[in-house]
Amino acid sequence: MQSILLLFIAMLLAPLYAAWILKIKAFFGGKKGPPLLIHYYTLIKLLRKGSVYSTSTTFLFKMGPLVSLTTAAVALMFVPIGGSPSLFSFHGDVIFVLYLLGLGRFFTIAAAMDTASPFEGMGAAREAYFPIICEATLFVMLILFYLLTGELKLSAYFEGLQPLRFWHTAGATLLFVVIALFIVLLTENARVPVDDPATHLELTMIHEVMVLDHSGPDFAMIELGAFFKLFFYSAFIARLIFPFTMGPLAADVALFFAILILIYGIVGVTESIMARYRMDKVPQFVLTSFALAAFATIITLEYIK
Amino acid sequence: MSYLFLSVSIVLCGGILPFLFIRQFNRMRAVAAFFTATGCLLGLVSAVLLLAGNDQPTISVGFLSSFTLDFKADGLSAFFLMVIFLISFLAAIYGYHYLDKPERAVRIAASHLFFSLLIAAMALVVTAYNIITFLLCWEIMSLASFFLVVHDHEIEENSKAGYLYAVYSQVGALFLLAAFGIMYASTGTLDFAAAASLSEPTKILVFALAFVGFGSKAGVFPFHAWLPHAHPAAPSHISALMSGVMIKTGVYGIVRLYHLLAWHTPLFGQIVIIAGMITGILGVIYALGQQDIKRMLAYSSVENIGIILIALGLGMIGVAAGQPLIAVLGFAGGFLHVLNHSLFKSLLFMGAGMVLHQTGTRAMDQLGGLIKRMPVTGSTFLIGSLAIAGLPPFNGFVSEFLIYMGGFRGAALGKSYFVLSVLAIISLALIGGLALAAFTKVNGVVFQGEPRGVPAQNAAEHGSGMLVPMVILAAACLIVGLFPTFFMALAIRAVAALNLGYGRIPLAPFVPLTANITRAAALFLGVLVLLWILRSFCYRGKTITQAGTWGCGFTRPTARMQYTSSSFAASILNFFSTVAPLKEEHPAIKGRFPAPTHYHSQIQDIAELQITSLIVRPVIFLFDKLRWLQHGEIHMYIGYILLAIVVALVFVFQ
Repeated sequence: MQSILLLFIAMLLAPLYAAWILKIKAFFGGKKGPPLLIHYYTLIKLLRKGSVYSTSTTFLFKMGPLVSLTTAAVALMFVPIGGSPSLFSFHGDVIFVLYLLGLGRFFTIAAAMDTASPFEGMGAAREAYFPIICEATLFVMLILFYLLTGELKLSAYFEGLQPLRFWHTAGATLLFVVIALFIVLLTENARVPVDDPATHLELTMIHEVMVLDHSGPDFAMIELGAFFKLFFYSAFIARLIFPFTMGPLAADVALFFAILILIYGIVGVTESIMARYRMDKVPQFVLTSFALAAFATIITLEYIK
Repeated sequence: MSYLFLSVSIVLCGGILPFLFIRQFNRMRAVAAFFTATGCLLGLVSAVLLLAGNDQPTISVGFLSSFTLDFKADGLSAFFLMVIFLISFLAAIYGYHYLDKPERAVRIAASHLFFSLLIAAMALVVTAYNIITFLLCWEIMSLASFFLVVHDHEIEENSKAGYLYAVYSQVGALFLLAAFGIMYASTGTLDFAAAASLSEPTKILVFALAFVGFGSKAGVFPFHAWLPHAHPAAPSHISALMSGVMIKTGVYGIVRLYHLLAWHTPLFGQIVIIAGMITGILGVIYALGQQDIKRMLAYSSVENIGIILIALGLGMIGVAAGQPLIAVLGFAGGFLHVLNHSLFKSLLFMGAGMVLHQTGTRAMDQLGGLIKRMPVTGSTFLIGSLAIAGLPPFNGFVSEFLIYMGGFRGAALGKSYFVLSVLAIISLALIGGLALAAFTKVNGVVFQGEPRGVPAQNAAEHGSGMLVPMVILAAACLIVGLFPTFFMALAIRAVAALNLGYGRIPLAPFVPLTANITRAAALFLGVLVLLWILRSFCYRGKTITQAGTWGCGFTRPTARMQYTSSSFAASILNFFSTVAPLKEEHPAIKGRFPAPTHYHSQIQDIAELQITSLIVRPVIFLFDKLRWLQHGEIHMYIGYILLAIVVALVFVFQ
């Protein structure tokens, strides 16, 4: 019951946090920025609209938003929110969740290729490219976490005091993991410096250009899925950078949601002070995360011995 | 066992009887399809019964008065027999509508003959239990598949492919002959069971030689170069059978030899796992770089052989390290992937065959938008692509999940096992990501968007005999993905036959793993249906309009502006350009009124490049120097024969 409630709160708050990034960016730009509830307004507005479908598209175009939202929502069900037990958990659920997000990506790409638009093809090719390296990074991290805990489930890594134990065994090298995870977050969620969600030139986009032709409730599903996915990655970083528990669950959860403000804030600051990388530089940036995770794993293993 | 031989005989009838009906084309292909399919169905049933039962029937037949042909069907054989007969059954049905040109009746009858020979030979290869039987069946298999590859031999590309395949399979067979020859020389018997008594250095030599021989059949890098040529050349149901099943006999050979040598050294595991990683990663990179749909699928088979070898290598490492869980997860994951790959790869080849049959082209960049005109082919091809990319809730995920489980346990072992297991996990992750890119590319370019050329505009589906097998295979991909426990149990039966010293392998530690996959897949499907209902609720009573794709302000978009297969893959391939160099060809534009020019690009396979310069050129140089032996004078040739006999006699009577 409690985990269902927490999941519900997380899903409800995910758009709010994403709006917080916009607020930060507006602050850096010297603007007032949109209201914090902007994403709720947008979602409601989109849900009330009808849709325009391209004559080139097939059922895959409609499957895209549906599957990407489903995969993001199911992935969130395996996350121990605020260190409390997750709704679902089994040995090997990490692999399932990562491949499930891959399924979401497959359908996002398929929906983009369905429109016959060269721009969307361009975005699709990039969406197929960069996450390959992210996946390798995540699996290296998994190896580290597996060797430290002997488990292959998200709840075993991020529940209760386990993150604190990571810091005790791995020490400062865990910072590498945090940075690598942050890079993966930026890449997987189409944030600057990998992708610029606010740019106006389709040629330079990745994720935004893939959803150009979606409209109405379909588009709302894509947006919601993107908020969930951002929340998914942020939740891990939040647990890693603030691994302590206060005792009562309510306090822990409240602190967790407060730390999330900080993480989304960092994403906003990164977006404000950095420019997007040239497309051919992006792989190098993403590879950094792989190198960091690999370093952390090797150093930690040497240390354990 | 007798049912097995009965089914093989019925299959062979399906090859011979069509020659009686050459003048009645429809009756001929009906007879061929009926007998082959019936034989395969009977074989499938007997294989499953064998796998479920505990007996290991053996049979011995005298041959040429000096040899005996020994056959033995244990769990390992039965598992492979199941795969062979299942895919052959569907391929036989598919072939009924695929080979439909009455004016080529003789050739098609010949194709049916070699098709049935290939099925029979494969079934006998996996049950053969002495050296001579095995090599005999192996050669029949290679030759039958050679004749199937050169079905359309008047096309120069195809006859070249056939030649390449013949060279690879014969050189591979020579390596096998060398390996088995050493075995025979050391033990003095043709019996397989004697292999366990070899000395350890001999075992290493035999394993290494046989690994090259079996690897060249399976498509292990760098012996895979025939696959991307031969598979596109063969008719599509033959490609499905060769890629889905025949190359697995190479995998069978490796496992069988490991079983026979009965030496649980980590060395074999290291060889197999390293070969698997290289094969898997390079295979998928080359697959991504192809512009020909069947070539792309052939390279993807190379990739999947890599995954299977990674799994088997993990299993061997687990055995060597004394870790039964890793061993069973590795071997069972590998066997399950053999089954899974045969399901989705033959599905994909059949889909590609439908596209080729109806549009007349294999070039992806000429196609597009086919899912609208070929809904069944498009949807089943999509399911096959999802499965081969290892995505839940399809079957590819199940085997990869089990292999990951074995890999993670291996990483906890320490020492050299740690490095190999970690590399195996990262390779699998990399292969998964690249396979997703490769198969979104095929789907996106061939089946989605708008037609890029005339052939794709007027295509339609044809032949229920071609559609039904694809639907069955797609359903099988989903069923194995949703309910893997039963199939895991079958794979564990095959592992038990390896005599790893675990006795009866209990199912208990593995059932929770597969049951979790079922639950997780059900959760996903449940949420999907729920959101789908919510979505339809949102769209109730809304206006839905159709319009053109938004061209970002461009007013005259054409279908040729779409992203092509080359452009989709370009940036990823650029990242891997050290192993996949790009060959570009574009004549410079000259003069004030330049003539039309062209641009051609192709990804090159480094194995092919290196084999040309390192092996083919020296060999040609050497044989060029020996040309004087070949002078055309008959009496000298007779002299050579005499000389050879004398030399042979000296060896025999020394």
